[in-house]
Amino acid sequence: MLQHLLKLIWNKKKAHMLLIVEIWASFMVLFGLATLIVVNVGNYREPLGFSYERVWAIGLNTNQDTTELANKVQRIVQRLKAYPEVESVTRMSGNFPFSANQMNNGIEYNKRNVLADHYTTDENFAKTLEMPVVAGRWFRHTDSVGKYWPIVINQKAKEGLFGDENALGKVVAEKFKVVGVVDNFKAKGEFMSNKPAYFELVNAKESWNNTMLIRVKPGTDAVFEAKVVKDIATMVKGWSVEVDYLTDSRKNQHNLVMVPVIIASIISGFLLINVALGLFGVLNLSIAKRRGEIGLRRAIGATGSGISSQFIGEIWVLATFALLIGLLFAAQFPILNVFDLATGVYVTAILIAVGVIYGIVTLCALFPSRQAALIQPAVALHEE
Amino acid sequence: MKEEREEGDEWEEDINTLPCNPYFLLVPFLLPPPKNMIHLQNIEKVYRTSTIETLALNNINLNIRKGEFVSIMGPSGCGKSTLLNVMGLLDEPSKGTVEIDGQAVTQYRDKELAKLRNQKIGFIFQSFHLINDLSVLDNVEIPLLYRSANGRPRQDYAKDALTKVGLSNRMKHFPKQLSGGQKQRVAIARAIVGNPDIILADEPTGNLDSAMGNEIMAILQQLNNDGATIVMVTHDEQMAKRTHRLVRLFDGTQVL
Repeated sequence: MLQHLLKLIWNKKKAHMLLIVEIWASFMVLFGLATLIVVNVGNYREPLGFSYERVWAIGLNTNQDTTELANKVQRIVQRLKAYPEVESVTRMSGNFPFSANQMNNGIEYNKRNVLADHYTTDENFAKTLEMPVVAGRWFRHTDSVGKYWPIVINQKAKEGLFGDENALGKVVAEKFKVVGVVDNFKAKGEFMSNKPAYFELVNAKESWNNTMLIRVKPGTDAVFEAKVVKDIATMVKGWSVEVDYLTDSRKNQHNLVMVPVIIASIISGFLLINVALGLFGVLNLSIAKRRGEIGLRRAIGATGSGISSQFIGEIWVLATFALLIGLLFAAQFPILNVFDLATGVYVTAILIAVGVIYGIVTLCALFPSRQAALIQPAVALHEE
Repeated sequence: MKEEREEGDEWEEDINTLPCNPYFLLVPFLLPPPKNMIHLQNIEKVYRTSTIETLALNNINLNIRKGEFVSIMGPSGCGKSTLLNVMGLLDEPSKGTVEIDGQAVTQYRDKELAKLRNQKIGFIFQSFHLINDLSVLDNVEIPLLYRSANGRPRQDYAKDALTKVGLSNRMKHFPKQLSGGQKQRVAIARAIVGNPDIILADEPTGNLDSAMGNEIMAILQQLNNDGATIVMVTHDEQMAKRTHRLVRLFDGTQVL
């Protein structure tokens, strides 16, 4: 029967060309959307690597002030530590977790190059973000007196630079010494891929890197936030102070990821609705035009359910033609390694897109094919 | 399939080849009578709409024996096609019983009726009912698809059927490339490909000129000589005269 259906659809391929193109286009958009979703779900399932609840980012802008900046920053750090509401304070660069800022550098070890996110921070960073150190330790300010500047790298950077070797004590880029390794660090949120990263000890005498991350005690509210802002403004005249809750920044980051997914879903949805309506119309028309054929098939041995299966089978064959063309295109992504994603991501996306297409064409075919099954052969043959 | 038809067909063959030896005159009395292939009893068919009730068939009692060639005649709208549809299990009678080759089909479900139609009955229609998107060979193969026959034997049976109707050179053609007579021959090949016991023909020569009609009639007669039971609806008296028996209908009632 399959061979029969293949012949039937193949002989009518010109009549079905537009529909095939439409199913193909829907498959390609679905494939793109599914890839996006598979990548993001895969990322989401990877642990974030740190805790962000009750952590606030206090951004300091020196504006026109140019005098004794480093001292003033140090005084602010001390002041923040003194608050009973604050559990921990850390100073870091502007690319704090969930911020829009990003900084990366290429680092090298034994001719192995890795492009890694670069964070500058102090000895309290791991404590403030409750980030476990899986090997070695987090750096201390006393590490700055050595020949090499201390850094902590994440597991991904370790794999890229050292593979299975022990990273501790190794000198990277001729100036950094690895003192510790942390697991994941996905600063842009759960949807970010786990990329290589390294943390460099901040120089206390520097006047930049003026973001303070503070972990506050449970129950601390906006009243304390206002107090902190007021106190800092009193301490450093002319500076501006901005407080971000990491929980809010995380939501913003999630929105940035979700917007393209939502846009792709809407486009895909429209296309699928188009395909569904097209298929529904084509099938209804086809059944109306083929009443004689349906009558004949019933007369020569087809059951009602056989007729229904035939129409569903035809639409599956049609979808298969379109999907075969689509697969030729989709297969190029893993073969040419477009977007540097794992082959499994593309394969999963292809399977999802194929499944959705078959699901939709089946749904569209169900009602018309049931109508076809109800056609009385005697009536249909007489009409002809 | 061929063997099935030949079993128990001695009577027809003897009748057809009856020699002049007087002893053979006793043969019909010695052999058992041919069995009923189609048996209709008290058949009534009523079409109902919300406003009107039409009696299409009224108290039809008809036996068609194995190997008979019966024609059904009557004016338009008298119920000829309805009767053929009832015989072909395409339409359910409102009352009465239908037996096909001894099987009472009243309680049969769709699946069983479809199987019986596929295995016992071949249909020929006035308007051919060929599928234009399939080649002649593919059209003829269709009944065998519903028997789940394998590809190669299916093709062989279809080629045999087309050879029988003289269309072995048109197998790859599409229906649009054929004349009316050729189309009807394809339809006959499709009807006989499964070697059915019964062939039901609804005005098979109605759309053809007389020469083509005669050709088709000759093929039907040959099939009947080969053992098929044929019931043919026709408007053509000349064609009806070439059959064994004539059934006349008038306003849904059998008058002859």
